Amino acid sequence: MEAIKNALDFSDSPRIDLIVAGAIGIAIIAFPLFPHSSFAMSTMIQFLMFSLYGMGWNTIGGYGGQVDLGKAQYVGIGAYTTAVMLIRWDVPFWFSMPIGMCLSVGWSFIIGYPLFRLKGHYFAIATIATSLVLKDLFEVWDYVGASRGIEISPIEFPTPDFMRLLFRDDIYYFYVILGFFFLGILYINWFRRSRLGFQLRSIKDNEDVARSLGINVHWAKIKTYAIATAFVSMVGSFHACYVKNIEPEDTMSLDISILIALMAMLGGAGSLWGPIIGAGILIPLKSYLKEWLGAQAGLVGIDLILYAIIIMLISAFEPRGVWGIVEKFRRKRRK
Amino acid sequence: MAFLEVHNLVKDFGGLRANNDISFEVERDELIGLIGPNGAGKTTLFNCISGLHTITSGEVIFDGEDITALKAHEVARRGLARTFQVYVAAGDLTVLENVMVGCFMKTRSRAGARHKAMEILEDLGIDDLSHSLVNELPVAAQKRVTMATAIGSEPKMLLLDEVAAGLNPNEIDGIMASIRHVHDHMGITVILIEHVMELVMKVSHKLIVLDYGEKIAEGDPQTVSKDPRVIKAYLGERYAKEHGGLNSVGQSEIDP
Amino acid sequence: MDILVGSLFAGLLIGMILALVALGLTIIFGVMDIVNFAHGEFLMIGMYTGLLTAQGLGIDPLFTLPAAAFVGFLLGIICYFGFIKFIIRGPMVAQLLGTFGLMLLLRNLALLIFGSEDRAVHTGLLVDKSFDIGMGIIVPATKLAAAGLSVVAFFAVWLLMHRTRVGKALTATALDAQGARYMGIPTERMNALAWGIGGASVTIAGALLVNFWSVNPFIGLLFTMIAFAIVALGGFGSIPGAFFAGLVVGLITEIPGFWDFFSYTFDAEWMMDVPMTSFKYMWVYVAYFLIVVFRPRGLFGWKQ
Repeated sequence: MEAIKNALDFSDSPRIDLIVAGAIGIAIIAFPLFPHSSFAMSTMIQFLMFSLYGMGWNTIGGYGGQVDLGKAQYVGIGAYTTAVMLIRWDVPFWFSMPIGMCLSVGWSFIIGYPLFRLKGHYFAIATIATSLVLKDLFEVWDYVGASRGIEISPIEFPTPDFMRLLFRDDIYYFYVILGFFFLGILYINWFRRSRLGFQLRSIKDNEDVARSLGINVHWAKIKTYAIATAFVSMVGSFHACYVKNIEPEDTMSLDISILIALMAMLGGAGSLWGPIIGAGILIPLKSYLKEWLGAQAGLVGIDLILYAIIIMLISAFEPRGVWGIVEKFRRKRRK
Repeated sequence: MAFLEVHNLVKDFGGLRANNDISFEVERDELIGLIGPNGAGKTTLFNCISGLHTITSGEVIFDGEDITALKAHEVARRGLARTFQVYVAAGDLTVLENVMVGCFMKTRSRAGARHKAMEILEDLGIDDLSHSLVNELPVAAQKRVTMATAIGSEPKMLLLDEVAAGLNPNEIDGIMASIRHVHDHMGITVILIEHVMELVMKVSHKLIVLDYGEKIAEGDPQTVSKDPRVIKAYLGERYAKEHGGLNSVGQSEIDP
Repeated sequence: MDILVGSLFAGLLIGMILALVALGLTIIFGVMDIVNFAHGEFLMIGMYTGLLTAQGLGIDPLFTLPAAAFVGFLLGIICYFGFIKFIIRGPMVAQLLGTFGLMLLLRNLALLIFGSEDRAVHTGLLVDKSFDIGMGIIVPATKLAAAGLSVVAFFAVWLLMHRTRVGKALTATALDAQGARYMGIPTERMNALAWGIGGASVTIAGALLVNFWSVNPFIGLLFTMIAFAIVALGGFGSIPGAFFAGLVVGLITEIPGFWDFFSYTFDAEWMMDVPMTSFKYMWVYVAYFLIVVFRPRGLFGWKQ
């Protein structure tokens, strides 16, 4: 009970934050009522998905301070679990998604135990290594379609199908992911003020001090990693039903892992709104750049070049992201 | 059986012996001062006792239990807390939140931790700072905050590492009162690493002196301060021989 | 039996070249403590340089090394002054993502300029020639020459680092940057130099590699991961470590060959069914993980 109260308690955020967040929230909910292209709708859905990916990453990468660049493997586990269970045994999304989460979390504990003996770039590279290994395995595993992947044909199922989460119209997907989105925000709001959240902040600050206060640092990190994994896996399952066509190169590549980390970093790792801001900037940017530039003949890759330059500029000049700028500004105002 | 017993503790860092065969005992109701010149191995000793370093050889027995091989968080959970000499807080923790981290060791609920943290802050007289950011506070207040945080974990024994460093005389009085409060009213056993002599002489029941990794003296403050070996450690051999009662072969000529 | 020896030999040969690839990474890390995700992209640029210089000037690919070295050196220095020096003061997240951004930039610039098709060297003194080293094992001459030259280049860099004044200054900065500064060694210049030398060594490796490995804009990542594994195994910052680790990792990539050998020797059907060749590089990643978890210092490293 107290947990729910804590999740809904935004009293420690400045008023203006809540007003802006509320306004944006209402705008998002009302979005489908306004005239929009299907491209805009799919971009919006992607924005919500990547906000969730980013929020999940943020628990271990932002609040926890350990840069994880291997989240794509959990997108894969979530997506493939749902897809395989649907194709082979006609299992609805609402069962396959939690199962996918369990598998992902289980795997995260197995590799988490050795992983968290590492720090800094050793840790980051190790996360990449594990994700690539899993991707390579999926690429040769015939049970999941190897490199061709799995395709869910919507013709087989009557739409709209809420159990299997298969719809013809994007609008249904939009409201489902929106629901997850709000739940995600409430969860993170609870998380950052929970016992584990406080422990993480202490760990990020100074691990020896944290230990002297009775915190089992290793275990706290593993638990947080599992939470991040659960988030990512959940959205991965959704991804399978939405995109209906998954293959290792699309869902489990390093690019996806980096993109997830980037959401949170650009927006502000370690803050509640950061990942959402990051996704809000990057996803539309990426989509529209690709639309306008990527398709033009002879300019292949320009959208990615611009995207790369943005990453480089942020890393060099404002590594704390957009939210970091906001906080810097506020601190100056206070003095 | 004393509350804390250290038997023949040795700590090596590769070829360097930082703590050499140190033994002492602390009773439940004592307040001990651990002194010695810089580099004598005092903080290393704290790190060994609190579990941050693995001990090369020897034993540490706390409240009847052998804690020699325990990791730092396990030691903390058994009621042995400590503060750190150099501690710069990251930007975003307020004083209250900082102390709450300590309270979360025993309390699981956020409301409970918050309540306890406020109580401790009131006890130490810094509750008016509860919403300030730790790293924007003056040094004296920061030291109080680290003490409060450690106390949040409801320790039976507290190791304080140079809490009076860098304080002016008024602030020293303040921290002395806090230390006395912690010991006398909260019933927590205290071991204090200090360089500020007036503080440590006034509050300690007993002093332990380290030099070059070894224990060179132990006893009540008055006696220890006149011990030639202690004088030699701080002021040099020549001074000790000329003024301190050290004879030509380095032995004390004053009856203990 | 010849499979075993063949695989062993192939593994060692490729290992020597991989060692050179990793050399640049370990130097940069040793001096500056920064991990360069774009390392493989430097290799890729080296490969294109070697290829295009050979085709453009009509000379044998093996003579393109000076051009590749020059390009690599320049690239390293430009990256340092243009970008890297701004991210080293930032938090780790920024460094990692920053060099990743650099990787994307270089990769997509290459895509834009060169297009996505594979390109390979077709003409040259040694192409299509091979050596028979007995037991029926045939080794392409290009591979042999590339491996040999890699060892020479490796040794040259080692000499540079340990026998010249500049090299010693670099080594000093690697061991203790602040101490070196007090001795009058300008850190900034050392950092740039590390990037220059690191860049040059990997582009030379690229120019050698392109003689028997075709290039496209996307091959960078694989080699970046291989280089990380080598540097981790050999010890971050250790030059001799990079050499021996390179050989070991080269052998790891030949695991399919050893697997075949064992499956024929033991006549084990189940072994033959496993598509080991698809897992060639996966073992490198597994090796990295195991090393870093169980022996973080690697074989020879001093940095943790």
